[in-house]
Amino acid sequence: MNSDLLQIILKTAASCDLPIVIIGGLALPAYNIARSTLDLDLCIYIKNQEELNEFINILKKHEISTVQAPKINHNLFTVFGKGGEAEIWLQPCDTFRWDEKMVNRIQKFYSNVYVLSVEDYILTKLGRSDRSSTDINDILQILIANTNIIDWEYLIYRLKWTDLGKEFNEVLKGFKSDFTNNLRNISKDIWEKFNNKT
Amino acid sequence: MTVKKKTRSPIYVTLSDIERAYKKVEEFQRLIERGKTREQIFKDLLKLIQVE
Repeated sequence: MNSDLLQIILKTAASCDLPIVIIGGLALPAYNIARSTLDLDLCIYIKNQEELNEFINILKKHEISTVQAPKINHNLFTVFGKGGEAEIWLQPCDTFRWDEKMVNRIQKFYSNVYVLSVEDYILTKLGRSDRSSTDINDILQILIANTNIIDWEYLIYRLKWTDLGKEFNEVLKGFKSDFTNNLRNISKDIWEKFNNKT
Repeated sequence: MTVKKKTRSPIYVTLSDIERAYKKVEEFQRLIERGKTREQIFKDLLKLIQVE
């Protein structure tokens, strides 16, 4: 079962003292939205090859293995266990790497399941090199469902850090247009909260 | 072997996209109001990923 696979991976990371988070579509319920997904994506914060090797060796003892030879500078590797597989990313997005600030903002979803902060999660969607309309639709829903939760200053800092401000503005134009046409207050709030901070 | 270059879709958000997003958020809120927890929803999604 995938829940077993997930738990073994999470417990292995915890035993190695490595921060690990759920990313991708499966993380969406932590941000108050949901959609079906076919992938189990995790992201682990590993600083060196020794830590990575140890993590892989312990997984192997639990019959979870990879056919790749993951290196610390790779984006991700796939692991296979009984009844499932998971992609384990070594960086939150293929276009940017972990930093300490991001690690410190990891938040608990429940029990031993953790996710990125909502702002960093938005960045993983906006920044991916194969970004699709699904990613943009996820961002729209996250903004609506978390308008009052988002740390807009931190989000703006990250948008500048990843040079994605222009693209985020394109997303927000939709909310501006919605408020102009439909007078929806949440759309107005989203537009204003962003523009008041920039 | 050819390697396909990854590309980002251009961003163009329509009013229909926004409308759909609001509806999806409402659907999730209805699930919560009916007593489902975010954890249960996550676990339901996880079950769907299971590989035979």
